[in-house]
Amino acid sequence: MKKKGRGMATIMFGFGYGEGFPDHSIAEVEITPDNIIKLRTAGADVGQGFLTTMTQIAAEVLKIDPSYIEIVGQDTHQSKNSGSTSATRQTFFSGNAVREASEELMGKLYHYGSLHFNSNHPELTVNNGEIYHCENKEDKITYFELADNIKKRGESLSAEASFFPKTYAPDKKTGQTEKNYVAYTFMTQVIDLKIDTDTGLIEVLNVYTALDVGKAINPINVEGQIEGGTVQGLGMALTEDQVIKDGITLNPDMTNYLVPSIKDIPNFESILIENEDSDGPFGAKGVGEPTLIAASPAVANAVYDAIGVRIKQLPITPEKILKALEESHK
Amino acid sequence: MEIKLTVNNEKRKVNVKPHTRLIDLLREDLGLTGTKEGCGKGECGACTVLMDNKVVTSCLVLAVQADGSEILTIEGLETKDKLHPIQQAFIDTGAVQCGYCIPGMIISSKKLIDQNLNPSDDQIKRALSGNICRCTGYVKIVDAVKQAAHEIKSGVK
Amino acid sequence: MTKKYVGQNISKVDAKAKVTGKADYPQDLKFDNYLNVKIKRAPYPHAILKSIDLKQAKKVDGVVDIITGQDYPDLNKFGLIIKDQPVLIGIGEKMRFLGDALAIVIAESEEAAFKARDKISLEIEKLKVISDPFNAIKKDAPAIHDDIELCTDYISQDIGKQNILVDHYLKKGDINKGFKEADLIVENTYQTQHIDQLPLQNEAGYAVYDQYTEILKIWAASQWLHDTQADVAQALNLNKDKVRIIQTAIGGAFGKKEDISVHLHLALAAMHTKRPVKLVYTREESMISQSKRHPLTIKAKTGVTEDGYLTAWQVEVFGDTGAYASSGPAVVHKGMYHCTGPYNVANVKGVSYAIYTNNTYGGAMRGFGTTQMAFAYESQIDIIADKLGMDPAQFRYQNAYDTNSTTPNGQRLSKSVNTKRTIEEAVKLSNWKGESEK
Repeated sequence: MKKKGRGMATIMFGFGYGEGFPDHSIAEVEITPDNIIKLRTAGADVGQGFLTTMTQIAAEVLKIDPSYIEIVGQDTHQSKNSGSTSATRQTFFSGNAVREASEELMGKLYHYGSLHFNSNHPELTVNNGEIYHCENKEDKITYFELADNIKKRGESLSAEASFFPKTYAPDKKTGQTEKNYVAYTFMTQVIDLKIDTDTGLIEVLNVYTALDVGKAINPINVEGQIEGGTVQGLGMALTEDQVIKDGITLNPDMTNYLVPSIKDIPNFESILIENEDSDGPFGAKGVGEPTLIAASPAVANAVYDAIGVRIKQLPITPEKILKALEESHK
Repeated sequence: MEIKLTVNNEKRKVNVKPHTRLIDLLREDLGLTGTKEGCGKGECGACTVLMDNKVVTSCLVLAVQADGSEILTIEGLETKDKLHPIQQAFIDTGAVQCGYCIPGMIISSKKLIDQNLNPSDDQIKRALSGNICRCTGYVKIVDAVKQAAHEIKSGVK
Repeated sequence: MTKKYVGQNISKVDAKAKVTGKADYPQDLKFDNYLNVKIKRAPYPHAILKSIDLKQAKKVDGVVDIITGQDYPDLNKFGLIIKDQPVLIGIGEKMRFLGDALAIVIAESEEAAFKARDKISLEIEKLKVISDPFNAIKKDAPAIHDDIELCTDYISQDIGKQNILVDHYLKKGDINKGFKEADLIVENTYQTQHIDQLPLQNEAGYAVYDQYTEILKIWAASQWLHDTQADVAQALNLNKDKVRIIQTAIGGAFGKKEDISVHLHLALAAMHTKRPVKLVYTREESMISQSKRHPLTIKAKTGVTEDGYLTAWQVEVFGDTGAYASSGPAVVHKGMYHCTGPYNVANVKGVSYAIYTNNTYGGAMRGFGTTQMAFAYESQIDIIADKLGMDPAQFRYQNAYDTNSTTPNGQRLSKSVNTKRTIEEAVKLSNWKGESEK
């Protein structure tokens, strides 16, 4: 018999290293005379879109098309520390560092621009990679021409910023602290599934997600995090298990360690809640890790809803379903 | 031993050992590193190429078995600096995260679209069921294949 | 206000390189005249290395050299938070899991390197293997590490502390008072499993050593370039500015590429041979030798009033951190710190232990302990709602954090507390009716 069930899970995730651990990100931005804005960061793009997110933030602040921005310095000898791509921290930490460095550079564009036009900041427009005086819009100088002029004077059009918010170590005996993590991301997910009570097989049908993202710097990439994270969570809920017996892994290959395939995926509907209320760049919060977390309990809750048995050991395999059903009928 | 094969429309002669795998021939001998290895056991699909227009996992094919065959790898899709519509669709739909599975995904997608310009979700899932992606949750990959099929169909008309 | 670039679906800046096959992951790089490296790893999860015989292995055609601990006796241990992992197990030293490295085989071809690796013969003295964390904390369990003493002096008397990596505590409000206020107390034990992050790209890299500048360059994926640099430098007794880590395209990570993998062995091989060297893990090697999601055993006890308000939450958390610390000193208690989920609970008590075993070590994986904990707290929440006959969404909503709520750590949440919004929106989106339409 096929039985349908639906389960909910609401989760939170404190992001950044927290616990008083130093947590830096340093970024540099430089406008070069050769029509490139170099954005120097050591942050790792593991596929989530870090480089793209940083490019968008710099482009927004510097008011220039993202195609002019080139990420450089993915090398310990060419950049300063950006901290790790972990703890859901890069959008918040490196994003803020990039935003601050870009704002600083924007200040310099006004400063040198006002020297160039023999004027003051309020009379200048800085936009689309160009600077002009309000009384003569025809007389423009590009960011890159300005950089060239400045270079001739032995100066550069560049800026650096470090983002270093504080947290405080928890008390050793009680765990109490004023600020353990810089901020928290919340998410609620509802999962529908269908169980074949003869085989114990579970088919996940629908995933509904409401994610507190603050501000989606790149909405399609945030959706990609929700979908990718959730499918990893479904693997955890249903199939993935590296079986280690007496220190020896019994299934060290992809034949016997089963991650979800394209055939296993449900329908997704997601809502990005954008309150723009966090201290991240443009109000953004980190979402990388939170997107995985709700799936396994939502599945367990849906299984209970469907067949009235509660599985407390992951993964929820067909064998466990059948065993639990058998016991519940006794 | 010497084998002859056509790779991405180019005739090649390569000296291989009896146990050289097709993936090693492509990556090591021909420098076509777009074809990736993820498991070495034909389970992940990262090394997918077309051999005589059939989808194969090149880690399970011996180079000598490819003697006389025509091989298509990811490097063979781009023409004159213009991306293949499938490649463009993968970019446009946000289907690329770490990218390691993408060459294999695109090759499997090409085989599908070559045969079916109007694939259903189920047909897409069947065609790509041998390609594991750990990042995206596959949703946008399905979108990409649909978009690509649609664009190729419109272009054909 | 609408923004021009932020909030827009700009195509990924690296996507074109990835869809054309041009993006170079570490295994795609090519250096002239490079050598292949393979690692001989522990044949048994817990043993002392008595001797190592390289004679037959060195006879393999194409072998350039084989490095063992005897060649580099002054290496320092490495690790993300605590340095407890040896670069190479020396004679008389202990292997603690199957991923421990005993020898670095360097050969002209990958084939020769594999062949020679399998011809290395070892003499080992087997020790008792501890695979179950609950056996590891028995008073008479042998110590897997005898030089790590991080656990507190107020750890429970019932626990053998010789295999405790770290213990952590939570105490908010008065747990006894909280349970007294409760009309219903629900107690359950949850168990999670070993998970591999399974990024599709296995660990791989190249290293090149320049004898004249004495700079060692390593091309390998890292989730934190500068940390990898610092750890390689300290382990090999090099100046940090002589170790240069260059990022490549990264084929997924999910926590697995926080740890050192190929880096140290490549560094030694490059310095030893003065030639470019390449090391690529197999999937099997990656699964056995690199970090796992920690299996957690979570004992949760939750008190609630009959009208559905949480009064007390107590957890005991046992994490199998495996043979080495990696991120373990931070993962298990981060899970505990999230023990109540996003719900107001005035009285909280918790204890967590990260426990050494002879299993593949636990490290970072997406969610970092909180993923496992959510399985426990969100199961508890539904179990309680069911017992109270309440709609699980309503039960969540009435206990959910608001501005000025405090976490189990006592952190007051002063802004951006959108828990309730996420419940409202998910309820709307899913057309939640409180029960499924069966």
